[in-house]
Amino acid sequence: MAERVFAGKLERAGFTDVWVGGHRPFGIDQAALYPLFTPEVIQIMRRTIPADHQGHVATGVIVKARKPR
Amino acid sequence: MGRDLMFQQEIKDTVQQAYAAITSGGGETVARQLYSEQELAEVPPGAVEWALGVGNPVRYAQLQPGQTVLDVGSGGGIDTILAARRVGPEGHAIGLDVLEEMCERGRAHAAQAGVEGWTEFLRGEMEDIPLPGGSVDVAISNGVLNLSARKSRALAEIYRVLGPGGRICMADLTVEGELPPEVANDQSAWAG
Repeated sequence: MAERVFAGKLERAGFTDVWVGGHRPFGIDQAALYPLFTPEVIQIMRRTIPADHQGHVATGVIVKARKPR
Repeated sequence: MGRDLMFQQEIKDTVQQAYAAITSGGGETVARQLYSEQELAEVPPGAVEWALGVGNPVRYAQLQPGQTVLDVGSGGGIDTILAARRVGPEGHAIGLDVLEEMCERGRAHAAQAGVEGWTEFLRGEMEDIPLPGGSVDVAISNGVLNLSARKSRALAEIYRVLGPGGRICMADLTVEGELPPEVANDQSAWAG
C-alpha cells in the first residue's frame, strides 16, 4: 500500500489530522530477519528486485490520525 | 506458486496459517532495531523474542496515565506491555489478536512484566473488533494493517471503538511503485 493510499483510507474512514513520519527504509536483508518471509520468497526478491533497490523495497512509517470530537 | 488474484478469505487464511506456524518472532535482532535499551528492559525476554513489528508506535503515541489503549494485532504483546506501562494501573491496555495462541503468549508475557492487572488480551479480528463503540482512547498497531484484505473495514472498526478525540498511531510498511509480480503474488509475501 502506498503512503498516499494509506492516508486516503484513514481520511475516508473519518479520521482527521493525518500525519505520516518516522520513515525508515526496509530492505530484503531486513525482511529476511522475519520468520514470516520464507527463504523462498526472500530468494525471489533477491532475484527479481534490482540490486540498487534491494536495500529499500518498502518504507517503514508511523501514521497518526485523530477521530474528531 | 504465484497467482494473479488472491481473494479476501484466501489472504486471511494464508496470513493466519503463516502466523500460527511460526515458532518465534523476529527476536532480539529485530527488536533492537525498533526499541531502545530502556524500552527492551521494560518487557520480558519472551515478548522480545516474539517481536514481529516494523516500528515503535508506542514511542509516538503520547500515551497518558489512565487512558485505555487498544493494540490491534498484539502478537506476543511487546507493544501492549509497553503501552500498559505508559497508561499505568489506572488505565487499561487491551491486546487484540486473531490467534488464541498469540493471546496466550501475550497474557503470559504481561504477567511476567507485572502489568496483568490492567492488561487483557482478546481474540478477535481487526475487521470486527469485539469492543463497544467509543471505548478506547488510543489505538496502536505495528505491522498489522497491511495483513488485512479489508483495510478500509479495519480502519472503520478502529474508528468505531475510539471515543471522540481518540487517536490512532500505527507503524506499517508502505510500498511506492510496483513489486515484481512473483513477489506481489507470493503467499509468504502477503503474510510478511
